[in-house]
Amino acid sequence: CITLDVQAACRGATVTQELLKEGFHRDLLVRAELGGVGEDSGGCAVAARTRLPAGIYVDPYELASLQQQNLTKAVLTPDVIDVEAPEYLATDLLVLLYMEPDPRCPRCFRATLPVHGRYHRPAEDSEEALVVLKSPEVLICCCDSHPPAECWKPAEVEAPCSGKTDGPCQWYSVTHKPAYEETILQVPVGFRQHSSFVCVVTLLATVLCSSLILAAVCRYGHLS
Amino acid sequence: LPMAVSSRGNAEALVALLVLATLYFVEGGSVGKAAACYGLAVHLKIYPLTYALPIALHLQSRRCGTERAAAAGCGKKAKLTFVRYLWQLVVKVLNRDVLLFGAVAGSVLAALTLTFYRLYGWEFLEHAYLYHLTRRDIRHNFSPYFYMLYLTAESKWSFALGLAAFLPQLLLLLVVSIAFYRDLAFCCFLHTAIFVSFNKVCTSQYFIWYLCLLPLVMPSLKMSWCRGALLLFLWFVGQGLWLAPAYFLEFKGCNTFLLIWLAGLVFLFINSLIIVQIISHYQKEAQVSKKLKQQ
Repeated sequence: CITLDVQAACRGATVTQELLKEGFHRDLLVRAELGGVGEDSGGCAVAARTRLPAGIYVDPYELASLQQQNLTKAVLTPDVIDVEAPEYLATDLLVLLYMEPDPRCPRCFRATLPVHGRYHRPAEDSEEALVVLKSPEVLICCCDSHPPAECWKPAEVEAPCSGKTDGPCQWYSVTHKPAYEETILQVPVGFRQHSSFVCVVTLLATVLCSSLILAAVCRYGHLS
Repeated sequence: LPMAVSSRGNAEALVALLVLATLYFVEGGSVGKAAACYGLAVHLKIYPLTYALPIALHLQSRRCGTERAAAAGCGKKAKLTFVRYLWQLVVKVLNRDVLLFGAVAGSVLAALTLTFYRLYGWEFLEHAYLYHLTRRDIRHNFSPYFYMLYLTAESKWSFALGLAAFLPQLLLLLVVSIAFYRDLAFCCFLHTAIFVSFNKVCTSQYFIWYLCLLPLVMPSLKMSWCRGALLLFLWFVGQGLWLAPAYFLEFKGCNTFLLIWLAGLVFLFINSLIIVQIISHYQKEAQVSKKLKQQ
């Protein structure tokens, strides 16, 4: 939970996200600056809500391990995820990522979520598939009786408010400037033109290798 | 390798222990204990199911070795054709030891399945067994078939290609079972090495399945240290050739699919070469034949 000045929260509020590392295994870094100055009052939790497309997923077991170590806290919907499914057999994933104060500035918050790219369909004329991540929305949950700021809109969020499940807690969506650019994950894909060549050569190779073993078995084994 | 793999959550060391115990009890004549260990091993991991045929053939051959040849109908005066030999095996396999083994192993497996079904319900059946029927994992792995299955995953040829990939594996397992069942440890080692090398999915943890049987086979491998070291070196080189492009694909996002596929084919060839060398330098058969002649 953090404390903030409820009246000034939306002035200059911005959110950014970026994908760290390379390859299929990335870290999604979300930063939010709620803007405004003023006296601290009340206690609220800040979270980012984003819908990950089917081409990217969160490993629920990895997340559970990180949550046990208090490194990341997030709620996934749905919470059952097929980590092996390719993109065309997978579904979107709604993530509510709780954010912690960022030491860079007084009204800044940040959170990191490990994400993984899925295999995509082979392509005819491209080496890569693109997974586009939309800008997340920033949510605030306050469990005190302070009136919400004008730029806060009540939001439907099925998640606990910083672990508190009782008391008059209410989630609000904070109006803010969205992330400047869309975040894009590039995932390598196979070439569809290779299909025939790969099938023929693979089957020939397996026939050759199995023939070698068969010949040895017939020569050195007892088959009569 | 077993420590690294077991700490990931796959208790391969436990399955290896049960497989070794099964072979130990079969060789020692304790069919019931062997069957119990076998049932438990299959419950933990399905791959020991492939040992059913070699074990059945071995048990019927042991029976032939211990009884009067004439009474058991085991002797043969003329060299049989391959087909008649196969038919004779099929008939002889239905003997007391084999039926006892099947009954005990089946009962242990059924009891364990029922117990865990009562504890965990449908989720247990789904994750333990049904999942393997519908699983489609097209991500990169050591298998030579990986790229073929990835490219054709949604095509009309997918089922036919999957079946075509299964046939060499099935044929080799059958032939190896018939050719080497007399030496059960060697037969199971070849079985698993072939099963893993020709499987549609192959990862490092599968190597433990046959490496745990290698110590049983090695004393009878009449191979120079030089040749053995060279084969081991080739095995590691094969993995290295695959791991390099796979690292660049997974952790750097480079499109190295073709290189990974080619490395998978090279690794298959190296594994096949090693299996052929092991078969051609294994000399326990000579000792077994001499023992049978002396009896």
